[in-house]
Amino acid sequence: MNGFSPSSHLLLTIAAPLVGAVIAWLLGSRGVSAVRQSAAVTTLVTLALAAWLIVRYLADPATASGLPYGLVEFPWLTEGIFDVRFSLGLDGLSLWMFGLAALLSVTAVFVSWDAIKDRPVGFYVLLLVLEAAMLGVFAARDVILFYVFFEFTLVPLFFLIGIWGHDERRKAAVKFFIYTLTGSVLTFLGLLTIVLWHANHAGVVTFDIESLVDGTKIHPLPMTAAGGWLQMVVFLALLAGFAVKVPIVPFHTWLPLAHVEAPTGGSVDLAGVLLKLGIYGFLRFSMPMLPEATAVAAPWLFGLGVVGIVYGALVALVQTDLKRLIAYSSVSHMGYIVMGLFALTPVATEGANLQLVNHGLSSAGLFALVGMIYERFHTRNIASLGGIASKAPWLAVFFMLFTFSSIGLPGLNGFVGEFMILLGSFQRAWSGVSPAWQFAYLVMALLAVAGVVLGAWYMLWAVERVLFGGSREPPRSAGHGHEPGHADHGHGGHGHGGHGAADDHDRCDLRWHELAAVLPLAVFVLWIGLTPATFLAPAAPAVRKATAASAVAFAARMQAETTATVARITNP
Amino acid sequence: MNATSLETFSLLAPEIVMVLAALVAYLGGAFAGLRFGWLVAAAGIVAAMVVTRGQASDAAFSAGIAIDPFSTYIRWTVLALGLLLCLVQSGDLFAAAVSRGPGLHRGGTCEEAGTFLLLLAGLSLVGVAGDLVLLFAGLELVSIPTYILLGLKRTDARGQEASLKYFFLSLVASAIFLYALVCLYGIGGSTDLGAIAARLKAEATGRTAQALLPLAIGLGVVGAAFRLAAVPMHFYAPDVYEGTSPGNAALLSTLPKVAGIVVLARLLVLVGPAASPDLLWRIVVVLAAVTMTVGNVMALWQTNLRRLLACSSIAHAGYLLVGIAAAAAPSLSPRLLSTGGLSATLFYLATYAIATIGVFGAIAYLGHRWPEWTSGSGPRPPREEITTVDDLDGLSGTNPVAAFAIAVFLLSLAGIPPLPGFWGKLALAFSALEVDGAAAIEVGSRRSWFVGLAVLLVLNAAIAAAYYLRIIAAMYFKTTKRGVQADGGLAAGVAMLACLVLVGMVTVRPRGLLTAASRAGESLVPPAAAALPDALDTIATR
Repeated sequence: MNGFSPSSHLLLTIAAPLVGAVIAWLLGSRGVSAVRQSAAVTTLVTLALAAWLIVRYLADPATASGLPYGLVEFPWLTEGIFDVRFSLGLDGLSLWMFGLAALLSVTAVFVSWDAIKDRPVGFYVLLLVLEAAMLGVFAARDVILFYVFFEFTLVPLFFLIGIWGHDERRKAAVKFFIYTLTGSVLTFLGLLTIVLWHANHAGVVTFDIESLVDGTKIHPLPMTAAGGWLQMVVFLALLAGFAVKVPIVPFHTWLPLAHVEAPTGGSVDLAGVLLKLGIYGFLRFSMPMLPEATAVAAPWLFGLGVVGIVYGALVALVQTDLKRLIAYSSVSHMGYIVMGLFALTPVATEGANLQLVNHGLSSAGLFALVGMIYERFHTRNIASLGGIASKAPWLAVFFMLFTFSSIGLPGLNGFVGEFMILLGSFQRAWSGVSPAWQFAYLVMALLAVAGVVLGAWYMLWAVERVLFGGSREPPRSAGHGHEPGHADHGHGGHGHGGHGAADDHDRCDLRWHELAAVLPLAVFVLWIGLTPATFLAPAAPAVRKATAASAVAFAARMQAETTATVARITNP
Repeated sequence: MNATSLETFSLLAPEIVMVLAALVAYLGGAFAGLRFGWLVAAAGIVAAMVVTRGQASDAAFSAGIAIDPFSTYIRWTVLALGLLLCLVQSGDLFAAAVSRGPGLHRGGTCEEAGTFLLLLAGLSLVGVAGDLVLLFAGLELVSIPTYILLGLKRTDARGQEASLKYFFLSLVASAIFLYALVCLYGIGGSTDLGAIAARLKAEATGRTAQALLPLAIGLGVVGAAFRLAAVPMHFYAPDVYEGTSPGNAALLSTLPKVAGIVVLARLLVLVGPAASPDLLWRIVVVLAAVTMTVGNVMALWQTNLRRLLACSSIAHAGYLLVGIAAAAAPSLSPRLLSTGGLSATLFYLATYAIATIGVFGAIAYLGHRWPEWTSGSGPRPPREEITTVDDLDGLSGTNPVAAFAIAVFLLSLAGIPPLPGFWGKLALAFSALEVDGAAAIEVGSRRSWFVGLAVLLVLNAAIAAAYYLRIIAAMYFKTTKRGVQADGGLAAGVAMLACLVLVGMVTVRPRGLLTAASRAGESLVPPAAAALPDALDTIATR
């Protein structure tokens, strides 16, 4: 197992997709199949490397004590005040997200297998570049390097949406890019302010995230009027970028458009990995570096999370477009994660961190399946679909599985995360908040529970209409492109009315590459659901460490408020 | 000829080489039938590079000439940009010769090349000038060849309008700037910059200084604003760029900006330590904020490619001013070695110039395209010059290399990491946040001005992304049946590729350029906290 050092292993894992991108580009003249095969091989190799790295990480006793693993570091821009380093490493916070990025890239390639016929070289090259950026952003240990990867993910996705998207792709691509960029440039300024604050007070210029976390503990940013509320200002600057990325309602308006217009592969990466960057940013920067500001903002963000849950669910309920429904369900589910994160109890934050992975698996799986449905029936309109279960039973099985994962059925991964988040939120409501906040927290937590019911409602209702009932898809003769390549369902009856029970001619079940896209996700859905401790344990110390300062600050704040309330009651 | 003037001549060797090469081009074109003027120009520039390399770059002052890291950085920038522009210009001319456009003949090549060399020599002179007279002479040696180049290139009404407009405005700007110089002379009683600075420091509170200094600052900034295409002297840019060739537009959007930055930097050294330092940075902060916002908002509505890039160049003038403003308000951070805004501006200037020349080089290279035409609808209409954003529709299909290059340049201009424009904006934002970095952000304090400026800077970068993306979207997301000619000449294509390589180099290793820029900036505006040894030590030990 000690064939080569963890450092080169990590570097190789991140570089592998780039190498694969070059290979795919060189193979461009050999046609679609050569390109997509090379892309598939690349993502599989990357996944294998990432999996092996994770196994090595877990086997290393040093990581259990919170030490980062596989450190890579060389100077990039060290001149004068700049000390930007190309510095990588994995720790408990990034471990699973790193693995998820590698896993979902495989899905993204396999769902694009037949869907992408126009300019395939560009598509797969961009997909692989995006994978490298996604792996890099979670491994970055330098503020600027993090930001470079964070921003750079926009570029490939911009092209993926704009070139291979659906009807309104150009508008969606530009809106996605501008919206996200506007938020994240403020994040950028916030990060620079932290670096400068630290440099001014510690006398050492560093961009290293860990040093900054330690440094801001010794020299916290001022949270007083005399200090200009600097900590709050910086928190809000960071929030601007992270809230758009998550997205936290009301900054979510770019998401449905981008998701609906994106090609399936892009949706998978966007929903599965890129949305998580916002939460990851909170965990990595805001909570450890700006604890007092986090403590002040936590109840409000908790509330916005709940608003997101309910609002997303209600909007999802009235959608007629299946993909749009899943997109709004993402808004709702990210609301849970925000809520769990800002409940600031250990159970809730650990649950939120796990839920990042869970939502990544279930939403990516659902987007992948919606893409497959679209390829078969050329519509995403729920009213036009129906009876898929009889025509594509395996597709239906997976759809059900991811739906159950998404609504939190016990035994599946979604349950673990959601349960922990809700448990932690009620803990927060019952203990550790001032009497003034207690009622508000309780109401919000109850609303979130109502959100669970709403979530089950819109998802199961959609499942019922799409998978079961009579077959209602549009007549197959109506211009939906039966290419000869679609052998599995291409021999069906052209001009078939599509009413009544399905027969053998109608069958259009999953093909091998579609199975390869969703099966690994399903495995993890079950695995996390059955043995959640395996996944919770490695991340727990890191999450607790990241949120500890904020939790302490929050407790102190609530203590002060309680004292004030008691004093008000006793001395009216 | 005494020893001092000999020494002076040797210090000016690169400029002299370029002027000699210009003479060769002029005389050869007129009397010897020389045809390849641009080759002479390129050779002259390379020779000047060799001479510059041989020169010591440490501070040498002689008779109003300052050879320090700052002027050396400017010289290298000028020469490198000159070589790239030379390629773009010659490619441009090749196209004009092939298309047999009205009023252009091959003989023009030599005159243009010679004029271009004079312009470069003038700009280089501005960089080394340590004397008011030499500074002004250098600036005029930049302006006058520019009029000629603008006038030579185009013979249609729009081109004439462009060159006339530039001519008159430039005259006004020069006059305004001359008044600023007069005021400085009035204060210092000398034309030597060092002597004026010493005098200012000694009697900054004197009555003459109190009365004339604000005037000198105001007029000087306005004079420089014209060359930078910054507010309030920005409005000519869209019309002039639209009316001229891509090569000239590339020239106009880069070389005068170098001159403007040099002038502002020299002005800083003069008045930086003087009595009313608050005035300068306040003016520049306001100008920077207004300039970048105006430029970007104007650019949002443009459909003509050159007008759009003109507006974008206005916006970039605003970004450049951010660093100047930071340099004008030396940081009072107690324990931090300030990099200084000037270094950031010099760094940004180079990254901006490379990307801009790349875009214009690509447009020059693409040249013309066929209009919409189907074979039943009469004779095929003549091809059209690429002028609007729509003309680039579907370029990724017809000319993938050019489309890729343009996309990279535009993303760099937009400041998307890890491209050079991002490193530039990082340096600029850092320099703005650095001002009074340890102080609280109170409304009205110096820190609050600069934090506001930094916020405007990054938000403007996001606005700018909207119109850069529009071009990229046209190239990649649209399709067209109209073929691009790519008849603009190979040289312009080479310039485009060279810029692409440079962009790649700065992306991977921004350090080299930033080191040079820092050294240059610090030689002019010394680091504010350099006196604190502990800050220096901590940085040195890392």
